[in-house]
Amino acid sequence: MNQTIDIINILIPFLYIITFGIYSYDFTSGGKRFENSKRIFLFITLFVHIIYLILRTIEFDHPPITNVFEIFTVLAFSISFSYFVLELLTDIRGTGPFIIILSIMFQILSSIFIEDLLEVREVLRSNLLGSHVFSALLGYSGITISAVYGFLYLTLYKEIKLNKFGLIFNRLPSLEVLERLSFYSAVIGFVLLTIAIIIGIIWLPRAFPNFSYLDPKLIGTFLVWILYGIGIISKITGRWRGKKLIILAIIGFLLAIFSTMVTNFLSRSFHSFY
Amino acid sequence: MNLLSISINHRTAPVEIRESMHLSSEEIKQFVRDLKGSFFNEGVIISTCNRTEIYGIPVNNDVSFSDIRNFLIQRKPNEKISAENFQNFISRDSMRQLFRVITGIDSMLIGDNQIFKQVKDSFTLAEEMQFVGFLMRRVFDSAIKTGKRAITETAISEGAVTVSYAAVQLIEKVFSNLNKKSALVIGAGETGEIAAKNLIDKNIGRLNVTNRTLERAERLASELNARAIPFERFKDHLHEFDIIISATSSEDLLLSKKEIEAAMKKRNYASMVLMDIAIPRDIDPATKKIDYVFYHDIDSLNIIVEQNLAKRRSEIPKVEAIIESELDSFFNWYNSLQVAPTIKSLRDYFENIRAEEIEKNLNRFSSEDREKIEIITKKIMNKILHQPTVELKKTAESGISPEESASRIGIIRSLFGIDSSEKNNPE
Repeated sequence: MNQTIDIINILIPFLYIITFGIYSYDFTSGGKRFENSKRIFLFITLFVHIIYLILRTIEFDHPPITNVFEIFTVLAFSISFSYFVLELLTDIRGTGPFIIILSIMFQILSSIFIEDLLEVREVLRSNLLGSHVFSALLGYSGITISAVYGFLYLTLYKEIKLNKFGLIFNRLPSLEVLERLSFYSAVIGFVLLTIAIIIGIIWLPRAFPNFSYLDPKLIGTFLVWILYGIGIISKITGRWRGKKLIILAIIGFLLAIFSTMVTNFLSRSFHSFY
Repeated sequence: MNLLSISINHRTAPVEIRESMHLSSEEIKQFVRDLKGSFFNEGVIISTCNRTEIYGIPVNNDVSFSDIRNFLIQRKPNEKISAENFQNFISRDSMRQLFRVITGIDSMLIGDNQIFKQVKDSFTLAEEMQFVGFLMRRVFDSAIKTGKRAITETAISEGAVTVSYAAVQLIEKVFSNLNKKSALVIGAGETGEIAAKNLIDKNIGRLNVTNRTLERAERLASELNARAIPFERFKDHLHEFDIIISATSSEDLLLSKKEIEAAMKKRNYASMVLMDIAIPRDIDPATKKIDYVFYHDIDSLNIIVEQNLAKRRSEIPKVEAIIESELDSFFNWYNSLQVAPTIKSLRDYFENIRAEEIEKNLNRFSSEDREKIEIITKKIMNKILHQPTVELKKTAESGISPEESASRIGIIRSLFGIDSSEKNNPE
C-alpha cells in the first residue's frame, strides 16, 4: 500500500503538468481540438488525486491535514476541483491554465516534502479540526481563484485600454464575465472561511486552553475576513465595482497567504504545524 | 472531366468592369435559357459584386472558352473589356477554382462567409432552371462539402475583418451580454447604419439613434425599432448609454472629456465603451484616460482588422489542403465511373473484331469445327483481355492517384480508339 501511495505521489504532479499543458496549448492555439478532452483529462487528474487522498487517510489513519505539506496536496486538489466545478457551471473553458498552475506549484512542493506520518499529535485528531481545515482550504481555494480572475481582469482591462489585441484579448472572456467569476469565487470563499472561523472558535478553547486573542493567526484571519466582508457589501450595495473591487480581492488573497506564512514559519502561534 | 469555366473577378478586372458584368437573377435565368443546349448540357452561373463566373459541361468538344466569353460580352457589352479580364479553367482546375471561391480564399475579403451562401443560391437557381444534371450536382455537392469543411476545420472565417465588426468584437470583450445594454449611435449615415445593424444583430437591449437632421434619425430608428433622440438633446442622456458609437461627418469634436467625465460620475463609473469611427474624430481621445471608459477610434479598430486578416491569410494553406483532398476524392469517384464503361467498350471492341473475323471465315470450317473455333477464339480473347481488365479495375481502387487513374483510362481509350469508335456508332 505504501508503495502505491508513493507512486501516485510522484504521478500526481505529472498529471497536473500534462493537464496544464493541454489547457495551455488550447489557450495559445485557440483551437477547438481539445475543447472536451482537456476537461476529461482534468477529471482523471482529480480522480487519481482524490484516490490518493483517501489511500493516505486509510493507510496513515488520519486525514492529510496535520502539516503544511499534507495541506498543500489537499489545497492543490481543492483549487483544481473548484475550477472544475466552475468550468462545468459557467462553460467558460479558456482560463484553466492560470488556475491549474497553482495546483502544480502546491502539489510539487507537497510531493517532494510529504512524509509518511503515522504519529500525529493527539490535539490534531479531532472531527471538528477536520471540518475546520476542509472548509478553510475550500475557502482559500475560492479566494485564490477569485484573485486569479481578478488578475486576468486587470490584465485584460489594461490591454483593451492600451489597444493591445494579443492572446489575452483574443482568448479571455469579457471583463464583465471575469469580474463576475472573481466576485462569485470570493463570495464562496468568504462563506467557507466564515464557517472555518466559526468551527475554529468553537474548537480552539478546547484544544489550546492557553491561547491568546492576540495570536497572529487570529488577527490575520480576522483582517482577511473583514476585507472580503467590506468588498462583498460594497459590491452588493453598488458602491464599488470593477478594478477597485478586484484590487481588494487580490490584496485579500496576498494578505491570506502572508498571514499563513507568518503564522506557520515565522511566529510562535498555536497554528504553526510545520 | 470536361468541366469548363470562365471567371471575371477582382484579380482580373477593375470594379467598373466587374459591375458592368454583374448579372441579376433575371439575367442569369435568361442566360441559362440561351446557354442550355447550345453551349452547355448542364452548368451554374455565379454572379456577385466581385465576380461573375460560368461553369458548365459543354455539349461537345467544339465549345471553346472564347465562345463562352463572347456569349457573355455580347449580352453585357463593355468597351473596356478584353480577353485578359477573364480567367479560363478546365477540368480539375475548373473545380479547384469553384472550391477556392466557395471557401472564401479567392475573395477580396479573405474568408468572406457570404460567398458560401451566394454559391449555394446560384446552384439552387440553376437547379430551378433544370440546368443541373447528375454531374453538376455531384460537383456542387463536393464544393459545398469543401466549403463547410473549411469553415469548421480552419479559422479562415474567424475574427472581425471590417471596422464595424471589429467594433462589435471589442464591445463584446467588455460586456458579456448586450441584451441588457443601452447603445447610442451618433450619425445616421451609411457607417452609422451598419454599426446600428451590427448592434441589432447582437441583440442590443436598447438602441438609440441621433442625427443632426432628426428625420434621418427617425427613419433609421423606425427601420431598426430603435429610439430617435433629437441631436440637441442627446448629451442630456449620455450617462444612460453603455455604448456610444459615433460616425458623423462633423469637422469638430462632438463629445469632450469633460462631458464624458460628468456622464461617468452620474452612472457611478459603470463601464462605457466609446467607438469613434468618424474621420475626423467626433470624440475627444483624451476620454481614454477616464477609468472604465474604453475609447477606440478607427486606427485601433484597424489593428484588430489587420490582425484578423493576417490570421486568415495564414489559414489559406490549410484550406488549400482540404481543397486538394476533396478534389482527389471527387476524381476518384469520377474515374471509378469511367472504369466500368471502359472495360465494357474494350471487350465490345475485341468481340466485334472476333465476331467479324469468324463471320468472314466461317465457310472455311466444317460444321462440327465451327462451335470449337467459336470457343477457342473466345478463350484467346478472354486471356488477352484478362490483364488489362484487372489493371483497369485496380484504377478504381484507392491508393492510385486520380491523375494516374485518369491517365491509364485515357491511354486505353485512345490506344484502342474507344472514344472515336463510340462517336462513330452512337447508341
